[in-house]
Amino acid sequence: MLQGALAGLAAGGLYAVLAVCLTLMSRLVRVVNFSQAATGMFGGFVAVWLVTETGLPIWLGSVLGVLLAGVLSGVIGWIAATWLSEADTTTRSAMTVGPLLLLISLSFILFGNKPQPFASIISGPAFTVGGVVISQVTLVTVSLAIVVAVAVRILLTRTAIGTRLRALSERPTTAELLGIPSKPLSIAVWVVTGVISAIAIVVVAPTQSNDAISLAMLIVPAAAAALLGGFKRLDLAVVGGLVLGVLSGLVAQIDEVSLIRNFLPFLFIVVLLLWTQRKEVWDAAR
Amino acid sequence: MPHADSGLARSRALRFLWPLAVAVVGVVAGYLLSVGLSGYFVFLAVSAVTAAIAILGLGIVTGSAGMIALCQLTFAAVGAWVVSLFNVLEVPGGFVVWLIAGGLAAGVVGILVGLPALRLRGVNLAVVTLGFAAAFDVTLLQIQFPGSKDGIPVLRPEGFSTDRGYFFFSIIVLAVCGLVVFWLQRGRWGSSWKAVAFSERGTASVGQSVQQAKLTAFAVSAALGGISGGLLAGQVQLPFASSFTPLQSLALYVLAVMSGAYLIDMAIFGGILWVLVPELLKRWGVPQDWGFVIFGALGVQALTSGTNLGQGIRNLWWKRADRRAAAAREAAKADAAADRAAVEPPAEASAPPAPPAASASDEPALSVTGLTVQFGALKALDEVSLEVPAGSVMGLIGPNGAGKSTFVDAISGFLPHASGTVRLGGTALGRMSPTKRARLGLRRTFQQDRVPPALTVDAYVRFVARRRVTAEEVAEVLDFFGCPPARTRLAGVDVGTRRLVEVAANVLAKPRVLLLDEPAAGLSHEEHLELGARLREVPARYGMAIVLIEHDLDLVRTVCSTLTVLDFGRVLASGPQDEVLADPAVIKAYMGETEML
Repeated sequence: MLQGALAGLAAGGLYAVLAVCLTLMSRLVRVVNFSQAATGMFGGFVAVWLVTETGLPIWLGSVLGVLLAGVLSGVIGWIAATWLSEADTTTRSAMTVGPLLLLISLSFILFGNKPQPFASIISGPAFTVGGVVISQVTLVTVSLAIVVAVAVRILLTRTAIGTRLRALSERPTTAELLGIPSKPLSIAVWVVTGVISAIAIVVVAPTQSNDAISLAMLIVPAAAAALLGGFKRLDLAVVGGLVLGVLSGLVAQIDEVSLIRNFLPFLFIVVLLLWTQRKEVWDAAR
Repeated sequence: MPHADSGLARSRALRFLWPLAVAVVGVVAGYLLSVGLSGYFVFLAVSAVTAAIAILGLGIVTGSAGMIALCQLTFAAVGAWVVSLFNVLEVPGGFVVWLIAGGLAAGVVGILVGLPALRLRGVNLAVVTLGFAAAFDVTLLQIQFPGSKDGIPVLRPEGFSTDRGYFFFSIIVLAVCGLVVFWLQRGRWGSSWKAVAFSERGTASVGQSVQQAKLTAFAVSAALGGISGGLLAGQVQLPFASSFTPLQSLALYVLAVMSGAYLIDMAIFGGILWVLVPELLKRWGVPQDWGFVIFGALGVQALTSGTNLGQGIRNLWWKRADRRAAAAREAAKADAAADRAAVEPPAEASAPPAPPAASASDEPALSVTGLTVQFGALKALDEVSLEVPAGSVMGLIGPNGAGKSTFVDAISGFLPHASGTVRLGGTALGRMSPTKRARLGLRRTFQQDRVPPALTVDAYVRFVARRRVTAEEVAEVLDFFGCPPARTRLAGVDVGTRRLVEVAANVLAKPRVLLLDEPAAGLSHEEHLELGARLREVPARYGMAIVLIEHDLDLVRTVCSTLTVLDFGRVLASGPQDEVLADPAVIKAYMGETEML
């Protein structure tokens, strides 16, 4: 039982990292980026290709793949910042469905639709607690999620660039008038979250079902986790990701409820939405 | 004028008949195609038809109602699953009954999926639907379609069992779906979808439940998805999960957005593209996955530019028509103005409005006691009490920030934290929702433009009126307020005129009380005075009390019999117009604000 829950923790750490990225994007550049996992998936696949076909060392291939993911994310961000800078969140988010579709299809063309032979960067057990093995992957993803969340929080509240970023998200026009370079800053947010997501995906991919669809659709549990924090709170996003991972690890152990496992992120989303939206709220804008 | 009447009747009959005629022509063309096309193309054509029906559904939820739904093919899978199940169980009634059942089942699933997203806006629904699509896909792989293990093929409808026959059958289904969607779009539901896409507040304030609008859009869309899936089950006879993947749902969404699928012709065009693009790629020896890459890129283009193919073509067409209509309207207006100048004295010179005639019951139309609204430390309204006599026009004036708009928001139910009591003709409104208040006869207009541009004037007026009105009534009220004719599209008129249409439509709704929040903003000075003169007549003519928020004291003086002055959220003075305007406190408060007194 406990082993199953902890096995889910590795995936939970991945959900948490992605959820933190989603939350960050939603707060700073007003978008729910549906291609968040897809760019990471694409970068990871390129890394695999570089390693297996051109014989690059694993670390170099991975770095290049992760950087490519950052660039791809930056390109989407550039599109959003150039043509949709005044658009509402819904329109900006809808736009990211296009790249999601495009990246999955492109990876089918380039790499086929089979799972990719990801070489493990990190593997093996980290330590054992009471007879239960904690893998290094679990350790790395969970700490990555926490480190990213804490670092982002410090960056936003303690540094000058954080203040600028917050100004940018809350009052884009005012920020621009104050001389804050809004476009480069927001593209930078896209690049950084793209890189972070890709790192998490490259680390976890060897131990997960890692075909293009499965990896790109990691966006669903990630969005579920981010919803726990209302796409606003980083700490709750981390908690949401870890809880969701542990839950699906638990459910996977019980054969009778294995069908539920597929619906777990969906049910998580539905329950959260019903709870957070129990009162009718009229926002001023519409 | 008997001639004009018969012309009107004929045009109405024409408006009812032409969609039918189009459908019949479509079915005939479908029959000819089913006979004339080669076997391979007939099969492709059925695929195009099923895709067109699914896109038709997406057009409603994404195009008209402005929500993101990413699981259309999951609904299709539900429809296909039900059809397969009924086929295995040999449910009596045959394919047609199974198909309808599949559509209904998908509609029910759509409602269940949509329920948690009802109170949400935009992007949350996208998350819900994508989650549902991903989950259902994996589940479908595990449970499979009924009968697929034993290889029991889905029986096609009798008389349409060949591929050609089945194509003809699918064309008939498409025609029926197209007609239903056309009439729904024209009707109340269609108006509510377009209204909710533009403004939820605006929708609620005319007595339309926002939840219901979203739910119907979602249910109809899902039902069409289900029918599309059922039709596909009959086409391939042994459906597999690979026809209904989330990736294809994403592609379908993108296709619906870029073609402009809320237009029926464009949904059909989208269906053709759905089949044509992969087919062309196949012929050119290019991997078919490039098709979705192309859709993805074009989708980004469409979503960033906010345009789509169908709307683009129509805009080009309408631009010319609009210019002509606008020119005609200007000419007519100039004529009318000249006529009036010759006949009537100008509105300013008329006597101050008489106090309202005593109505049957002396009960005030609206009475407010102790209304308080607090935003943090700021009391936007502080113990506001006032009464609006039945059949009167009350002016609500006060400097900027006095709390006038907050007052309207609180009365109309948009500020649930307001305390105090509001009674509408004796009924205490308590914590009623804006929708309920509007249905009880409390209507309001907005300072910002909340008139959905996707509607025609006629559709909007009928939507707001919420009762059966004849074309003559609509024409009369539009004419009374100097609005453009009923056939005009709201997207083609300026904001000032739109707000005039908003006032006219709400007047036609015949509420007990109508709250007008600066209705004249955006109008020229002449139009301003014109509107004032009209508003004076409204209580007697349409039987309602009006609360008018207005900055122009000239206008207030000529229109309002009673006045209430707000300042810093308190009632400074309230009563008959001349008394209030003579009140020293009012003069003191106003001297710094305006030199007009």
